[in-house]
Amino acid sequence: MRRLLVLALAGLVVAPAAGAQDAAIRLERPWVRRAPAMPDARPGAESTAAGYVTLLNRGPDRDALIAASADVAARVELHETRNMSGMMMMERVDKVELAPGSRVELRPGSYHLMLIGLKRALTPGQTVTLTLEFERGGRMTTRAEVR
Amino acid sequence: MIGARVLAACALAVCLAGAPAPHAAPAGAAGLRSGAFDPPRPAPEFALPSTGGAEFRLSRQLGKVIVLTFGYTSCPDICPTVLAELAKVRQRLGGTAKRVQVVYVSVDPERDTAARLRAYTEQFDKTFLGLTGPADQLAPVWKAYGVSVVRRELPGTKPAMYLIHHSASVFLIDPAGRLRVMAPFGTPVDDVVHDIRTLLEE
Repeated sequence: MRRLLVLALAGLVVAPAAGAQDAAIRLERPWVRRAPAMPDARPGAESTAAGYVTLLNRGPDRDALIAASADVAARVELHETRNMSGMMMMERVDKVELAPGSRVELRPGSYHLMLIGLKRALTPGQTVTLTLEFERGGRMTTRAEVR
Repeated sequence: MIGARVLAACALAVCLAGAPAPHAAPAGAAGLRSGAFDPPRPAPEFALPSTGGAEFRLSRQLGKVIVLTFGYTSCPDICPTVLAELAKVRQRLGGTAKRVQVVYVSVDPERDTAARLRAYTEQFDKTFLGLTGPADQLAPVWKAYGVSVVRRELPGTKPAMYLIHHSASVFLIDPAGRLRVMAPFGTPVDDVVHDIRTLLEE
């Protein structure tokens, strides 16, 4: 509870993205993993990269991340990596649920955005535009640093 | 059905790996912090084509710590995370990193050409060696290290795209060629650095 309050206060101090002042959903610390220009690319063997962001639902209603896109990728899927006795299993998921007041971290080894069919190499320091679509909150756009 | 197959593969992996007992106590085998093989065993020998050009033969690497891990270039989440952490490990080791070789063995012979693998590993650290080759050369190496590899098609993709479920542990082989550590995914960088230093100083 106290943690939530602190987060809420932090939200007041940090200027939110333009147009997002009233949004219940808040996006924090977006970043995308580097990816090289991939030789020998062919359909079915496109280059991929993972995108990460922390999602905060500050509203009174449930919401869910249901889709995403990126300016540098042909398409983006929502994925979850699960660790089964040391075997890392990555599966596509339909949505990432966001309970009221929840904070869900998309991070390595967990939920992530899978960028498929990169249009260019992603090198550290560049930025990528990510658009996230929420069931209730609609579309939100954020700039993610390549790391 | 898929779940059952995966479970079977996991059980097999544990079997083949000989289930190293992760040491909870820091005072475990030789003071290693990650999952230690106790007693140490000879690391299974293998020779594979490397992105460095020459064949990589494990038994010719005596005197170095070999950091061995498995993955593939179309893997966006786990594999780059492991490689980025191993790049950090080498940075933290400073000059000692000269006696450490990171070796990345492909679990995707169909898509991982040497050129792709080189492009992929070099973005993290130019000294990393990628090993790939035909499936009949790679599969025995996966098996020897208990690495389970399960291909999973992504539904609705044309032409079919697939992911590969695989073990993402990092193995440490000491300068005498013995398999000493299996560090599971998520092992802190500091612990891996500590264990490599321990193996180099023995």
